[in-house]
Amino acid sequence: MLVDLAGGWNPLVGRLAWSQIPYDNPILAPLFVAVVLGALMLLGLITYYGKWTYLWREWLTTVDHKKLGIMYIIIGLVMLFRGFIDGLMIRTQQAWAVGSQSSGVFGALHGYLTPFHFGQIYSAHGLIMILLAATPLLVGFMNIIVPIQIGARDMAYPYLNALGLWLTAAAGALIMISLFIGDFAHNGWFGYAPIFELQYSPGVGVDYWMWTLQLVALGTTLGGINILSTIIKMRAPGMTWGRLPIFVWASLSANVIALTSFPALQVALALVAADRYLGAHFFTAGLGGNLMLYTNLFWIWGHPEVYFVILPAFGMMSEIFPTFSEKPLFGYVTMVLASIAIAGVSWLVWLHHFFTMGAGPYVNSAFSVATMLVGIPTGVKVFNWAFTMYRGRLTFNAAMLWAIGALFLLLIGGLTGMMLAIPAINYMVHNSVFVVAHFHSMLMVIVYAIFASVIYWFPKVFGFKLDEFWAKTMFWLFSAGTALVFVPMYMLGFMGMTRRLDYVFNTAWQPYLLVMELGIVVYMFSVFAFFALLYVSIRDHAKNRVGADAWGTSRSLEWITHSPVPFYNFAVVPQINARDEAAWRRENGLEHIQPDHYDDIHMPNNTGVAIILGGLSFTLGFALTWRIWWLCLLSLIAIIALVIYRSFKGDPGYILTAAELEKMEQEAIRRASRIDGGHHLRPVRGDGWAQERADLPAAGTLYGLSSPMDHHK
Amino acid sequence: MSHGHDDPTLHPEVQMSTSRGYFLGFAISSVLMLVATFLVTSHSMPPFGLLMVISACAAIAIIAQIYFLLHIDTSEHNIWNAVALVLFMPLFLITIGLTWWMFSQLYLHTMIMPGMPAMVH
Amino acid sequence: MRPPASDVDPKTAELWDRHQHQHDVISTRTLGYFLYLLSDAMLFATLFAAYGVLSYQHSYFGGPTPADFVKPWYTFAQTMALFLSVLAYGFGMNALKNKNKGGVINGLLSAFILGALFLALDIHDMAHLASLGVSVATSGGVSAFVVLTQVHATHIFFGLIWILVMMAQVMTKGFTTEVVGRLLTLRMFWHLQAIIWVFVYVFVYLWGYMS
Repeated sequence: MLVDLAGGWNPLVGRLAWSQIPYDNPILAPLFVAVVLGALMLLGLITYYGKWTYLWREWLTTVDHKKLGIMYIIIGLVMLFRGFIDGLMIRTQQAWAVGSQSSGVFGALHGYLTPFHFGQIYSAHGLIMILLAATPLLVGFMNIIVPIQIGARDMAYPYLNALGLWLTAAAGALIMISLFIGDFAHNGWFGYAPIFELQYSPGVGVDYWMWTLQLVALGTTLGGINILSTIIKMRAPGMTWGRLPIFVWASLSANVIALTSFPALQVALALVAADRYLGAHFFTAGLGGNLMLYTNLFWIWGHPEVYFVILPAFGMMSEIFPTFSEKPLFGYVTMVLASIAIAGVSWLVWLHHFFTMGAGPYVNSAFSVATMLVGIPTGVKVFNWAFTMYRGRLTFNAAMLWAIGALFLLLIGGLTGMMLAIPAINYMVHNSVFVVAHFHSMLMVIVYAIFASVIYWFPKVFGFKLDEFWAKTMFWLFSAGTALVFVPMYMLGFMGMTRRLDYVFNTAWQPYLLVMELGIVVYMFSVFAFFALLYVSIRDHAKNRVGADAWGTSRSLEWITHSPVPFYNFAVVPQINARDEAAWRRENGLEHIQPDHYDDIHMPNNTGVAIILGGLSFTLGFALTWRIWWLCLLSLIAIIALVIYRSFKGDPGYILTAAELEKMEQEAIRRASRIDGGHHLRPVRGDGWAQERADLPAAGTLYGLSSPMDHHK
Repeated sequence: MSHGHDDPTLHPEVQMSTSRGYFLGFAISSVLMLVATFLVTSHSMPPFGLLMVISACAAIAIIAQIYFLLHIDTSEHNIWNAVALVLFMPLFLITIGLTWWMFSQLYLHTMIMPGMPAMVH
Repeated sequence: MRPPASDVDPKTAELWDRHQHQHDVISTRTLGYFLYLLSDAMLFATLFAAYGVLSYQHSYFGGPTPADFVKPWYTFAQTMALFLSVLAYGFGMNALKNKNKGGVINGLLSAFILGALFLALDIHDMAHLASLGVSVATSGGVSAFVVLTQVHATHIFFGLIWILVMMAQVMTKGFTTEVVGRLLTLRMFWHLQAIIWVFVYVFVYLWGYMS
């Protein structure tokens, strides 16, 4: 033992003890029972339907970028739900624990959460929403869409792609298990020195927080390398830089940020680990440490990360606006330059998270000016979207509504961001809920763009559209919730309410807090609407089937291959002739022309190594958290041995013969022609679509459930 | 473009190795490190000048190694490596430079340090 | 509505790639690995940033500073071991050009021995410092010194394991596309360690010794 630990430690189980299981906590204990029952039910169902082999062969060992992307999105949605529940708990505590007369239950003096528990909830909420909800959701979309948009059959490194997913999953599992074994950090999602030092946070919460972040950081860096190499090396012939779809450009700039900035996070956290495990003095208050160094290193990553999550969202909006305006994107070149400029400037602004450190007027003004510069390329983007819609033939379906909602939130979040970029204002509202409302507006841009994309790309991935009525209902409920929660939050910020209060002393704020509570309840209804959306859409999938060009007005390359996309993406790699290839082919009447002959293609084999490495990384994170040294060493050696084993084994891949390919293609074309009625019938846009196609036979298959993928057993 | 099926040792990235290049990279950086070590241990220069000289030694050694060992140049097979390196360079400088600058300013405003002008009272 | 701009005539346009265009497996691999190495270099840049902030007089809290414990000529010997190891690897790669299996193995083996010598000197140095009571827990400044140099040493450690693996692969598998690709990525990794070491040596050891 290098450092003195409060509480017991033994060589076999480290710091683990029965007392670390919060069975006496009135909130966690019932939740634990529910989770265990839910998990048992899920496992039972899988066993009952005999789906284990299917699950292992088709999903858990897959290296198909689309399936990996779907799993990223599922992880993201599950974590988004968990983060939402945290938000609900925070709002409820603040609406309840107002004034000295407010009641308290479950051991809390006011409200229903003790300060320590409340601290863990807001820390988990932030970390989960940014790194385990927004990041996997966006990485998932980039995984699915980028290779298809550039005409590639797969990512540059399919196995690495699977590894990135399973590392992210391991991180998600680590933060989830902190609910029931031990506790979580209470130092905010980004942490403060010296409160996360062992002396002030003797529990395992900070360790869970730290290792979770490390795992996500590693997974995201690997994913970033993969997407960059894919874009640079795997483009189809004719896909020049000037023809690259704008979402690909956005992914490129975003992943440049990921690749460059995540190491800073890893260093910041590794140094925290050095302090907590080896007794180093990087961020201690005494012995030559520097508290603000941590904040600095964290935000060197933290601010670029903000753009890492918002740039793909901008890319999504840039795909959706032209499709539903029936016009090419206005200002393609400026859009590309703006994305690159945002990525560049994102590296020059991080100090604005701690203007109040007191580095003085020179430093603060330099970073203030740099921060305001971000407004220029962002403004260019907003105007480009507006001009794309201007005099277009607009279709206000659910995807478009979500995208327009994102545009409005970007305006609000951007303008308040400009206010915060001014150090004098920043000093006044620093650490107030005004800042919280600002960055939630920005992150809501991402959430809106993600839901827009879920609706927009769902038919491409699964072959049928989502239900318009429930998608729109969800949109309006969600937007009402956003207004009800964040407008009062901006106002409270100006009134001086600081963030992260487990007890609100000023009773004059209660009406606002109650409105926000109402807002979060409305959000809850939008979550129900989302479940209804999924249920209704899957129930009615047979009548909502679509052909290759699901929207009839789409523009980029992914819309020329079948829906759902076959596992090989393109039977023959397309030759690219125009910037908006799908639109170009449609305008020139070429969209139904299929390749006249097929060749053998080489595909990678599935592998179980990635998921096992994910499991071992989880074990390593858990063992480090609880300081079970033998298990650390064992899992580390196992990881190295497995990597070496894989390197010796290699993957020769397998050949998909031209005959097999042709058979699958014929089947896909037949399926599409049944949807198109055998003619060159353009799909009808808008709400009428589902009803008009109701007479069609229920043909084809749901994605993956019976796709012809059994030839690599 | 089908190097995958040819003999991999004929790949341009294998063929660009030369013993002369590796030796030059080694010799230049070794001599420069020797000079730097000698100057530092002999205390023959004022600290600031010495810092400048050893920084120059480091810079030249790095450039020689990047060119001769990593083979970063603008030839067709290295162009993306070169582009990536050029894009990363400013970020290294920003990370280190801005951090040092902000903390030197912070220390100036918050710490009393030898050799620094007295704070205005 | 205006059709999307393209200078290709739709009547004669090729819609599908007829040439079964192959991707260059080795170049794709080396590019991805180079990107990883640059992110690894960013990791060192961040550590240097931290070292710079923690190398002020007050960072040592009155305790020992690198000026008290750095021995320039000892570390110069380490430098030479690493540079020679990199040179040996380079000669190995030159042998690869001529499909000379023995030359590659000799190059890798020499690189391994010299790399191991570097690591042994580093461990000996750290053990010596520990015996003087200078460790990661001494003060903020020394923490930064130890962590920066030992992160580099950890890279060397993993590089040595990798060299052994590659020796085994060259012997058992010969020069397949995968093995050659890995030899090239390992070359970049090993050479980058020398480049990082120049920074560590000059700005941590020598500069630390001066001030």
